[in-house]
Amino acid sequence: MRNRMTVRRFGAGLLSAALIAGAVLETGSVQVNAAAKNRDTVVLRVCNWEEYIDLGDWDEEETIDLESGDIIGENPLIRDFEEWYSETYGKNVRVEYSTFGTNEDLYNMLTLGDVYDLICPSEYMFMKLMKEGRLVPLSDDFFNEEDENNYYIRGLSPFIRPIFEEHTIDGEKWSQYAAGYMWGITGIVYNPEEVTEEEASTWTILDNPDFRRRITIKDNVRDSYFAAVGALKKDLLTSEEFTSAPDYSERLEEEMNDVSPEMIASVQDYLQDVKDNVYSFETDSGKADMITGKVVANYQWSGDAVYTMDQAEEDEYYLNFAVPEEVTNIYFDAWCMLKSGISEDPAKQHAAEAFINFLSRPDSVIRNMYYIGYTSVISGGDDDRIFEYAQWNFEAEDDEEETVEYPLGYFFSGDEEDEDYLLCAPEEQLSRQLRAQYPSAEDIDRSSIMVVFDNEKNDAINQMWINVRCFNIHDIPVYAWILALAAACGIAVFYIQQRKRRF
Amino acid sequence: MHTLKFSRKSLGIPYAVYLLLFVAAPLVVLLYYALTNGQGQFTLSNLTGFFTDPNTMGTLCYSFAIALVTTVVCLLIAYPTAYILAMSRLKQKSVLILLFIMPMWINFSLRITALKEILTLIEGNLAYYPFFNAVVGMTYDFLPFMILPLYNTLSRLDGSLIEAAKDLGANDRNAFLNVTLPLSVPGIVSGVSMVFLPAMTNYVVLDMLYNSTYIMGSLIGSYFSAYNWHGGSMIALILLAIICIFTLLTRGMEDDSAETRVGGALL
Repeated sequence: MRNRMTVRRFGAGLLSAALIAGAVLETGSVQVNAAAKNRDTVVLRVCNWEEYIDLGDWDEEETIDLESGDIIGENPLIRDFEEWYSETYGKNVRVEYSTFGTNEDLYNMLTLGDVYDLICPSEYMFMKLMKEGRLVPLSDDFFNEEDENNYYIRGLSPFIRPIFEEHTIDGEKWSQYAAGYMWGITGIVYNPEEVTEEEASTWTILDNPDFRRRITIKDNVRDSYFAAVGALKKDLLTSEEFTSAPDYSERLEEEMNDVSPEMIASVQDYLQDVKDNVYSFETDSGKADMITGKVVANYQWSGDAVYTMDQAEEDEYYLNFAVPEEVTNIYFDAWCMLKSGISEDPAKQHAAEAFINFLSRPDSVIRNMYYIGYTSVISGGDDDRIFEYAQWNFEAEDDEEETVEYPLGYFFSGDEEDEDYLLCAPEEQLSRQLRAQYPSAEDIDRSSIMVVFDNEKNDAINQMWINVRCFNIHDIPVYAWILALAAACGIAVFYIQQRKRRF
Repeated sequence: MHTLKFSRKSLGIPYAVYLLLFVAAPLVVLLYYALTNGQGQFTLSNLTGFFTDPNTMGTLCYSFAIALVTTVVCLLIAYPTAYILAMSRLKQKSVLILLFIMPMWINFSLRITALKEILTLIEGNLAYYPFFNAVVGMTYDFLPFMILPLYNTLSRLDGSLIEAAKDLGANDRNAFLNVTLPLSVPGIVSGVSMVFLPAMTNYVVLDMLYNSTYIMGSLIGSYFSAYNWHGGSMIALILLAIICIFTLLTRGMEDDSAETRVGGALL
């Protein structure tokens, strides 16, 4: 059934350190070998999320044995790219790879003057960068489907493509500036022994007193805001009238990006209640707390949900994933070229676009998906290996009794009914990794993106978040004031005494 | 003599460069951001904003409370420990001291993670006792910083002074209160300053022990991730001012007890 092995995140930090060290050594040797050629080497400065690319060095037994051939990550994908580039285009490229922790960190790094050619922010951050005119548009050649090396445009999922075409910033399409990398949705990972599917399938679980101090929420303002709006508008979002409206998607997106002062105020109240109900605000620790059973439910991004369920499964501990009935946040991380880095150097731009294409080559896609647990925006086009990989992961064994047909046509061919992309999966996968890795078409129907807000609104939301997280001075009880006063008097008396003794 | 002086001066150059680059220059940047707004104009609104916002002031109070309780707890644990260590006639004293320093050799986040598991075993669910956990975590982290200065002061204390007090009729209690305790004030002061101020900002402990309320350190961080460098810098500057005031107040105390009084007593 499921062949997937542990996604190896632990120690990836060490590996990336080793990678950097390796890069230094390697460039050293390259310089010796090809001193003459060195002048032609293009340096590509890439900045990506931490632990968001295959670093290679897999064990033999981790080989993904698809019918069309084995796939294994021997070397870091970055090194493979350098090799592929010089073989394909006869030019040398050297990737200087660095990482960032959050979109905000990345933005601050750019503001402080760090220079990169290619970065991988989330959708709202590239929207912001687009708005500020800091991105270089992808070239026409990049979109030429005739060129067999253009793996990105040839393999881009028919589901993702229109999203990047239809969303615009100042009249310009996302797709002109951003090439997708990974995507996912938000949902709730839960322990089915403690939480029912129904209880987990709503954002209101966050302030459900039944799970007091046994649920975690994301420690960032945007994810928390989205969940709060989903919970507050539950009645509207789940009403028949709303969901069956012809312009449902547009209206959903509008409702979820509601940043009116009234909405911000209610979100603040709601999150203040949530703060008293949850176990923690977390960015990373939630996964471990879920696996060790400290919490029974965990607001999670789909990629990390897959990772959490995989890890728990190693200990014969089964966790489920639910997508809230109101709405789910669909998000994208996408490659963008920066003006400050590329600076009209065609060789550099070519290398950057080739990098995106190489990462979109089906075998690279599979290696990345296996390694990091997130879902690529690439469906493979003519190349069926990515669907084969989904089958390798999720297809039921022949002797499996309870199976369901899981249509993935929406992602792989653009036709929901397409029988070529019907996955026959064990029934339990409907609430497990499969649901997180490739959400069902119904989940996708009620997904909404969260756009970038203008500075004024953004400031208001950030202030709201600080208000939620801070201790309000009005909440200090009277006895604490008296105690503090007494302590201050005591210290003052002591201090004066010390002074007096001097004379 | 002259050449010696000269070489001493030049030995100071690396440190002067270091100071300039890593202390003075960041301070200038900090000052610039704290006193300007997004348009780069001079403003005091960051300062007044801090003192008029109930949330930032509340955070200041909350951090203060955590730091104060941590310091008191540290002092209550560290003083007897340091006293016993200093007064004991054990030959292997250094082994005992080592026991207290050893935790500092283990990575801090590793220790707090271990503490998290232990506290979970005891409390069941950490999230119900955020303030208590924060104090326990901070105490665990900062205790050696309190013990060491206290031990140093107490072990250097001249035993004959206590003998003299006793010869003059003081009982143990009086001798301790009137001789040992006042003479150990410098140790207390430096211990307190090494615990109190870091405890106001060390939000990693709170994060790791699931206290969802911000303290000063996390507040600065949140301003920076909201791209409000000006507000964040102002908070950092205010913290700096608090540290300066604290140091100025205690410097007097340290001076007169450490030099004048000990010196005078010895003479």
